[in-house]
Amino acid sequence: MAKLFSRRAILAQIALGTGAATVGLPVQHAFAARDDRPWAFFTNDEAQWMAAVVDVFIPQDEFPSASQAGVVDFIDYQMATAYGAGKGLYLEPPFPDGAVAEQGYQLEFTPAQLLRQGIEQARQLGDFATMDATARADHVEELSNRDDFISTLIAELWKLTRQGYFADPIYLGNHDYAGWRMVGFPGAHAYYTERVDEHERSVTPPPRGIAHDRGGSPYPPRAIGGGSD
Amino acid sequence: MAPRTLPKTDVLIIGGGWTGLTAAYELAHAGQRCVVLERGKQRHTATSFGAPEEHDELKYAHRYEHMVDVKKETLTFRNNRDQQALPMRRLGSFLPGSGLGGAGIHWNGQLWRPLPSDLEMRSHYEERYGKDFIGPDLSIQDWGVTYDELEPHLDFFERICGAAGQAGNLNGDALAGGNVFEGPRSADYPNPPMRQPISNTLFGRAAERMGLNPFPMPSANVTKAYVNPYGAQLHPCTYCGFCERFGCGYYAKADPIICVYDRIKDHENFEIRLNAQVLRIEKSEDGKTATGAIYLDENGEEVFQPADTICMNAYALWNVHLMLVSGLGKPYDPETRTGVVGRNYSYQTVAGVDAFFDDSVKTDPYMGAGALGVVIDDYNGDNFDHSDLGFVGGGYIACKQYHGRPIGYQPVPEGTPKWGAEWKRAVRENYNHHADLVVHGSSVSTPENYLDLDPTWTDAYGRPLLRMTFDFPENDRKMSDYVMQRAMEVAREMDNVTSVSGSNNAAIDSHYDIVPYQTTHNVGGAVIGTDPETSVVNRYGQMWDHHNVFVFGACLFPQNLGYNPTGPLMGLAYWTLEHMKRDYLPNPGPLMDA
Amino acid sequence: MTFRTVLTTCSAIAVLGISAGFIRAQNYEAAPGISAMEQRLEDEFLRFNATVNTDVDDDVLELGRLVAMGGSEAGDSGMACITCHGGDGAGDGSGAFPRLAGQAGWYTYKQLKDYASGDRQNRVMSGIARKLTEEEMEAVAAYYATISAPYTPPLGDVDGMTLQWGGQLGAVGSAERGVPACVNCHGPSGLGNPPSVPYLAGQYASYMAHQLQMWKEGKRDNDVDNVMSAIAKKMTQKDIDAVSAYYNRVRPTQPLPPETSPLLEPSTAPTQ
Repeated sequence: MAKLFSRRAILAQIALGTGAATVGLPVQHAFAARDDRPWAFFTNDEAQWMAAVVDVFIPQDEFPSASQAGVVDFIDYQMATAYGAGKGLYLEPPFPDGAVAEQGYQLEFTPAQLLRQGIEQARQLGDFATMDATARADHVEELSNRDDFISTLIAELWKLTRQGYFADPIYLGNHDYAGWRMVGFPGAHAYYTERVDEHERSVTPPPRGIAHDRGGSPYPPRAIGGGSD
Repeated sequence: MAPRTLPKTDVLIIGGGWTGLTAAYELAHAGQRCVVLERGKQRHTATSFGAPEEHDELKYAHRYEHMVDVKKETLTFRNNRDQQALPMRRLGSFLPGSGLGGAGIHWNGQLWRPLPSDLEMRSHYEERYGKDFIGPDLSIQDWGVTYDELEPHLDFFERICGAAGQAGNLNGDALAGGNVFEGPRSADYPNPPMRQPISNTLFGRAAERMGLNPFPMPSANVTKAYVNPYGAQLHPCTYCGFCERFGCGYYAKADPIICVYDRIKDHENFEIRLNAQVLRIEKSEDGKTATGAIYLDENGEEVFQPADTICMNAYALWNVHLMLVSGLGKPYDPETRTGVVGRNYSYQTVAGVDAFFDDSVKTDPYMGAGALGVVIDDYNGDNFDHSDLGFVGGGYIACKQYHGRPIGYQPVPEGTPKWGAEWKRAVRENYNHHADLVVHGSSVSTPENYLDLDPTWTDAYGRPLLRMTFDFPENDRKMSDYVMQRAMEVAREMDNVTSVSGSNNAAIDSHYDIVPYQTTHNVGGAVIGTDPETSVVNRYGQMWDHHNVFVFGACLFPQNLGYNPTGPLMGLAYWTLEHMKRDYLPNPGPLMDA
Repeated sequence: MTFRTVLTTCSAIAVLGISAGFIRAQNYEAAPGISAMEQRLEDEFLRFNATVNTDVDDDVLELGRLVAMGGSEAGDSGMACITCHGGDGAGDGSGAFPRLAGQAGWYTYKQLKDYASGDRQNRVMSGIARKLTEEEMEAVAAYYATISAPYTPPLGDVDGMTLQWGGQLGAVGSAERGVPACVNCHGPSGLGNPPSVPYLAGQYASYMAHQLQMWKEGKRDNDVDNVMSAIAKKMTQKDIDAVSAYYNRVRPTQPLPPETSPLLEPSTAPTQ
């Protein structure tokens, strides 16, 4: 990876051209503090493609988009660790034809292989940089309806996007509790004995994750969606 | 190379979960030297399941850290015999456990008793509705043991867990606020019912207005500091919302480690070996008894542990698998419909109803517990008139608040796009304004739903994988649809509801799908009964073919009832243990004539 | 004695200088100003921590401050909270009176209610609480929840083994004794889990040990569902002393913004 690599720049490039979907450019990336670290798994091109896809799944509105919340970082980390290598997946051959949907995942790929090969093929089917927001959404929809393993790729990415947007921030997504704030989920520290049946009084506690010290969230909070650093 | 042989022990117990640790406790106290073999690793409720690290939704609820590793053990699956069974390559529909305590660590803590009629399903339906009422394609049968016989044991297990609830039938007297349909109980619940959130409360009120009979869901998430009969101290539930799929570091959810293991581990008659994977049970030369088990110890070496008595206490599916790979009992052949091991496999027929509230009702779903619910049993079992309905069985309907963990809890109204801006908005607008209803339906058995060994794929130990052939029978699709409609009626009656939608895993034109989670209630395959042609164990849980082998767990169920199986299976476990202690061990031999 | 006289007299004592080190001065001028407190409440967690039954605003804080200074409406309890608990809520250094600064508001409020009703017994606090109105209890609880104070240096030494044992109990409990870890309910680094669960970090060791002893003996019984008494009954004296010594010494790794140290003028309180 290039030493002067910048995640922010990579993801900002894909934000260009999304038109009404973004507010203010460049995209304020959640992990600007990590900007000079390479991706653990993705190439820059793959990361750009990923950002476009995950932002179709969860675009920016009053709350951050998926990439702004760190979902690409989350997926990168997942692919580089045990999950990507196939933990929790029985991969013994053979892999005969004729599987029905009810029998679940039957590909011979680990998730990392699925993403690497899937993204390579998918990138040949359309260039996000030339599309506006609507076209991107249509393209992702098309990919998800294909008869080949690209549709499995899209399904996997959708699953990982939802996980990345809402998992504890120790996994690099849900930056500054974006997902938890959006729905009102207080997080890992939970004690509600005296509140559960107090129906009249309801105040959702502010979110605190596993690594949360009362001094602040694990990564410095950044303003989302606009202005320069 | 022959495995190393260890000195004989009195009792060998295969599996360190609820039934295995309980068997060890009871038999050790009865003077039997017990060795428990548990394939998983050591863990403890205090040190392994503490907040906040345990409250990691991704790791435990979606990466299945407490569950069985499919690379080591999984199964193959098909809907019917016309298909080729393919491996379940990822966990989905059900989540067996692994490690000390087994699935008893990550269960929800819903603690039920069977209805008296559940245990005599065949005779009951035939008596009430006629001999031809149960269709010829259903292999429903009586258990061979009655509710009255099991009652003291069901009660004892409720005491072990500190069950929290409201009795509805105390020695024949109806009590308001409890389950009016339940079989008579000899004593009240040991703990008061759980505190209910607004969603469940609104459901209860609606049900009452409709003339139904709501009651608090019986719970093994204890509600007060409590000491169980084994001397274990449990602590009150904090409604933290990290129950199923997680261990409870608060000591509030009854689990086999705190309830049983901690109270037996130092006993002179108790020994447990962890990381011990049993490969097969060995039989005597004449095949009439089992002599012990061969297992891989923690160093990966094969060891033979001989024993006088063998208890099979693995998870339901793996008990059946072990019988098949060991050649215990006669395997079932669906072609000829002979044999019994693997026969009558069934599951749980689950449907769901979503009710959405207007903004005035804030549900705070993150305050939850595994058994936090308000239930109506009016459509369970034969609690309602089946005469013109065209099916048997039923299920409870519960409004429940288990958790609000945001990866898994994203209720959106019907018609919401599957992703994108509208979906995102719908998720946040409905998170705090939603009630979750479940229809927890029974599962009848058929000659075509069964377990056997797969011809193609193997587990990490070279043994053929278990093969599951299963689809929801017509009977259960009809039942599920009927009860789901009733649930939707109650949902619509709730205050401040703006929309209601249902989803049915056993929908009319669909097939059982191994991908979405439903329940970890796999039952049958080693059925209990009074006739060796249709059961693997007699009514005492003793194998017909090998009188020193006793079998525990939900594999004994001839079909599944409309309740979570842990309560009924533990009632059976204590019943079996009583007969082992009283009748078998003083005089080993078959306890029943064939 | 009127309120004003109390204040003047106590200030005089403070000026006479019973100095820091062993027993802290009761420095009444240490109480932070309302505007500094409002600034602290811009942190969402601190605001949540301070919210008892209604939103915390200037009026609530003013009333709370008044009550803390001894201005109870039900007339002249003669006792100001600050007398024993300090103007900044850090106690008086002896460990006889607990630190209140930053304590979960609803928890403090509940203790006052329990003192008043007799659910919790204390010769001094019961009488004081009975003289407070509901509104005053809420206000003074919110007040103390909002202020911060430096931690008093621990009294005495404790050996490494004891400290480590206390930390272990706090973090992972004891499988042997069936004791759940304190962190499950008492929050990260013992910082509490508002509204219900009080913080332990920086609390006086002798006070915590005394409370655990009372739970154990059944003399304190105002915990919900007997959660604390069940835990304390499983603890030995060594366990109690260890975990108290440990939590007394725990500090959050970052200061709570914005700082309102009593050594600074409220108007010059630094921002994060």
